[in-house]
Amino acid sequence: MCANCGFPLAQEHWTDAGARSGFERLRGRLLRAQLLAPVLAAYGLGVYDDGTGPSFTLSTRTGSHVLVGDLGELWTQAERLAGRAIDPLDQRFAADEGQPG
Amino acid sequence: MSGPHGRLRLAVLAGFLGAGKSTWLRHALHQGGFGGALVLVNEAASASVDDVLLGRATGLEVLDGGCACCAGRGALVASLRRICDRRLRGAPIARLVLETSGLADPAAITQAIAEDPVLQHHILVEETIVIVDALHGLAQLREEPLSRRQIAAADRIVVSKLDGAGRPAVARLVATLCATNPAARLAGSIMGSEVPLPESPGVAPEVWVDEARSSEAGAPASPGEPRPPPIAEALDPGGPDSWPALSLWLSALIHARGDDIVRIKGVVRTPRGPLLLQSVRKVVQAPEILPEGPQTEQARLVVIGRGFTRAQLLRSLQRFAGG
Repeated sequence: MCANCGFPLAQEHWTDAGARSGFERLRGRLLRAQLLAPVLAAYGLGVYDDGTGPSFTLSTRTGSHVLVGDLGELWTQAERLAGRAIDPLDQRFAADEGQPG
Repeated sequence: MSGPHGRLRLAVLAGFLGAGKSTWLRHALHQGGFGGALVLVNEAASASVDDVLLGRATGLEVLDGGCACCAGRGALVASLRRICDRRLRGAPIARLVLETSGLADPAAITQAIAEDPVLQHHILVEETIVIVDALHGLAQLREEPLSRRQIAAADRIVVSKLDGAGRPAVARLVATLCATNPAARLAGSIMGSEVPLPESPGVAPEVWVDEARSSEAGAPASPGEPRPPPIAEALDPGGPDSWPALSLWLSALIHARGDDIVRIKGVVRTPRGPLLLQSVRKVVQAPEILPEGPQTEQARLVVIGRGFTRAQLLRSLQRFAGG
C-alpha cells in the first residue's frame, strides 16, 4: 500500500516490462507522460507524473483529479473524464496528412 | 524446458467437442512431443474418460467438475498454483499441456492466467493449439460463436480426421480458417499423424454475420452484412528507445479496439532485451524477456484484426510517438 495515495501495491502492468533498472522504468514513465500530454490535451485532459505516485494523475479543466494505477486503467478513466471514447484509430490520429482531421 | 526467467511453459490444447484433441495429444506424446510434460485434462462433464486414453504422459492430472474457462476457472487456477508450487519445490515438471474441454474458450484461460497475481509470474502460455474436425469444422464455425473464438485464439490450427472429409470441403474449411486467423500455422492430421493439407488456391472462404456484434448494436442479424475477414499487418516495432511510445500506443489500441483485434504477437526490443509480447483480444500476457539469438534478432510485431488499414495503424503510431 502506498502511504501517500492509498493505492494497493501495484502488480506490474505489461507496459512496465523491459526496463533494466528502476531508473529506466522511471524514465519510461516520464517519457510516456510527455507523449500522453498532447494526446489527452485534445480531449481537454491534463496528465501529470512526477515519478513519486503510483502512476499518472489525470486532470480536467474544471479541476477534477484522478489517480490511475497503470496504462490499462488510464484509458478507462480518461474516457470517463472526457465523456467520450478515445480511439487511436479515429480521424484525429489516423487521418491522412492531406485530410482535415 | 523452462524459460530463461524460470516461467513454466504451458501449451493450451483446445477445439470443439469431439474434434480429436485427445487423439492428437496422445499421438504427440507418443512421438516424444512435449517431452517431460505434465498433462492437465479438463472435462466439462463431471466424469472423465480421457485420462484413460492418455496413459503415456509423464504425469497426468484431471480437472473435472466444470469447464476451466468459466465454471471450473477457480479449480484451474488452484490446480495450476499447486503445480507451480510443486515445481518450485523441485518436482521435475519441464512443461505443462492443458487439454481443455470442448466448450472452453482458450482466450479465457490465457486471461485467467494473465490476471492471477501468482500465475502471471510463474506460467507462460507458450502456444495455443486448436484442433478442428475436417468434416464438422465448417458447420461448427458457422453455427457456434465459441468455435470461431477458439480459432481466433490459435497459434497453431490442426485440421483433424482429414480422411473423413472430401477434398472440396477441406479446401473451403482451410480457406475459412486462413481468413479467420491469418497468423496461425495450419497443419493436417489423421489419427494424430501429421499429413499435408490439400492446396486450395482460389477457394473462397465462408463469411458469416457475427451475432454477438449484431445483437450488441441492437439490430437483428442480417445476412447481407458479413463482417470483413481480419487482416494481419506486420509493423516495425523500432529499437529499444521506441518501447515506451509503442507500449503506450498499444495500450490505447487494445483498450479502444480490443474487440476487433484478434491477436497481437511479436518480438519487440527493449532496454532489457528482446521481449515476447502477445495478446488475445483485450488481454495481454505478462511479457517475457527472451534470450538474444538469431530468432530474436529481427524485431517484428503482427497485429491481426479488422476494421482498420495498415496506413491508419502506421499514422496513428507515428502520432502517438510524437511524430
